[in-house]
Amino acid sequence: MKRSRAPTSLILAGLLAFVLSLAGLSAHAAEGEMSKESKACLSCHDKDGITKTLESGEALSLAISTKAYTESMHKKTDCEDCHSNLDSKTHGKVKTAIKSKREFALGMRESCRDCHKKKAVEYDDSVHAALIKAGSKKAPLCTDCHNPHTVRSAKIVGPIADTPCAKCHEAIFKAYSKDVHGLERVAKGISAPLCAGCHQAHAVKAASMGEGVKDACLACHKEALNQHKDWLPNTALHFEAISCPVCHAPDAQRRVNLRLYDSTAKRQVAEKTGVPKFEKRTDTADAKDMGLDERALWSLLKEFNQDGGDGKMLLRGRLEVRSGVEAHQLSEKSKAIKDCDTCHKQGAAAFQSVSLTIAGPDGRPLRHGVQNDVLNSLTSMDSVRGFYAIGSTRIKLLDYLLLLVVFGAASVPLAHMTVKRLFKGVRQKLEAERLAAAQDPGKQASTGRRQGTDNASK
Amino acid sequence: MEKLYIHPLPVRLWHWTNAFGFLLLIATGLQIRYLDLFQLIPFRTAVVVHNWIGFILIANFFVWLGYYLSSDKIKVYHPELSPKKYFQASFRQMQFYGYGIFRGEPNPHHPNAYKKFNALQSMLYQIIMMLLVPIMFFTGLLMWDVGRFSSIVEALGGVRVVDTVHVLLFIVFCGFMIVHVYLASLGHTASAHFKAMITGYEEVEDEPKHDATH
Repeated sequence: MKRSRAPTSLILAGLLAFVLSLAGLSAHAAEGEMSKESKACLSCHDKDGITKTLESGEALSLAISTKAYTESMHKKTDCEDCHSNLDSKTHGKVKTAIKSKREFALGMRESCRDCHKKKAVEYDDSVHAALIKAGSKKAPLCTDCHNPHTVRSAKIVGPIADTPCAKCHEAIFKAYSKDVHGLERVAKGISAPLCAGCHQAHAVKAASMGEGVKDACLACHKEALNQHKDWLPNTALHFEAISCPVCHAPDAQRRVNLRLYDSTAKRQVAEKTGVPKFEKRTDTADAKDMGLDERALWSLLKEFNQDGGDGKMLLRGRLEVRSGVEAHQLSEKSKAIKDCDTCHKQGAAAFQSVSLTIAGPDGRPLRHGVQNDVLNSLTSMDSVRGFYAIGSTRIKLLDYLLLLVVFGAASVPLAHMTVKRLFKGVRQKLEAERLAAAQDPGKQASTGRRQGTDNASK
Repeated sequence: MEKLYIHPLPVRLWHWTNAFGFLLLIATGLQIRYLDLFQLIPFRTAVVVHNWIGFILIANFFVWLGYYLSSDKIKVYHPELSPKKYFQASFRQMQFYGYGIFRGEPNPHHPNAYKKFNALQSMLYQIIMMLLVPIMFFTGLLMWDVGRFSSIVEALGGVRVVDTVHVLLFIVFCGFMIVHVYLASLGHTASAHFKAMITGYEEVEDEPKHDATH
């Protein structure tokens, strides 16, 4: 046995050396494809620790690993393709002032756009781009997520901790890493979605707006609708009015989100840039900050309708989880909520928190609290016409009406039978008179009555 | 007492299917709406049973409609076109239930196969069968699959409006069922009308000849 191990080890070592030499060759080959100018750049920049101190005091790293660069997606891109503003005659000799890393990244953004036009268009429509337009200093630019000198193919499955989104959305990412998708991603690699799988990498929208994320769920879970139809009555309505994590993140807290919706344009109403109305109106309508009541909600809807939009504004209710963290606490399918009682019972926790939402100018939601008894009020029937959960958001007045009608209807026989009993003596007397009259036809005309029903005389 | 064949078999089958169906619909409807107050059966079971019975009763409604449209017995639903006659007959009937019955007076309405309803019943059943029951079934159908009928639901004012109409009619029918059963016990014996709805034969008092033309 011992004899046979030595040749096997030798073979394995030989194979490993061959593979490594191929990799080295490939890197060298890529390096070989580099232009003379790029090689010249890297001859200076391929040094650890070289930095430039910016006006902000930040240290901008100037180090570029030739190896990492030649293995990156940009290996065929020359340095000057992106850094075309640099003049070889003055570069490195004359100091150029750069305000900050952020300013530098903003400037370099245009270089990315030259090649990645489609992604740039998607990005421009994203919540990240809207935040930058609104003056955000934190919203990500291209280089915040992609290091241009080391960027690898998106198809390569790296450790989930390398996900750039985690830098800003730390709490959400932490929740994700423990939920069913995060665990599956670690265990099985690409089969489970990472952030971009649901939220898009560039066309990122506010997750609680629109139906994008739900569409993403259904894009992978194609059979979900049919599988739910097997047991869930009114499946289409549930899918429309409830976000997936409401049931699939069983420990999450839930709330009703009343979205202001333009029924003609068939889209959620958005605040126009520079014309802030929502906050002003909701604050006026809810001066005591107790949450909008049904009257305030109705007045508010009227005001938005008077703005002369495309059509009638109405509220479309949706049950969702309260935070992004909770939306990323998805459990295994077997633990998802299937018990109808969770929601269809008066006093259900899901209906204790209600908010009114419109899309802000940057695409993120603007919210204002609404008193939860709005969902049970007859007067808000028109305001919240598009949201109704049997049992839990029932109109209280109808309960009283039911009691009134049932007791009223039950009292009819009781009262009727009581009066009949009280009239028993009268009936018997009249009965006797009729019988007497029947025996003496002369008196029949004066009685003028025929024999009553047997039952009536009882 | 004379025995008159007043309730034909299809009508009796329709009636009892409808009666038991309505009781089950009321029971399951109460369970669906008031899960917080009592739980005799699981919510989902109540919804599924409610839906199935709803469809059975919709089909049953067409049994009733089909029978009357193809039979000359539809005359029982013909309205009295003379307002004077109608109001006089209604007044006589109200006077009977509110006063005459206590004195042992006879029911002023003398039924036959083509005029089995008194003036009050005639008006009430026309409203119930041609308006309330179809609206009840229609709103129930819409709520059975709101997604499928979303454009109609939206045109009617939203799911909350449709549900409110459905519940209002549910309340009306709850009241109707109670009063209906009591009034059915006011025959010449307490069980006379119930037996008639089983056998088809109503026992009516012998009439003077001029009344037979009714």
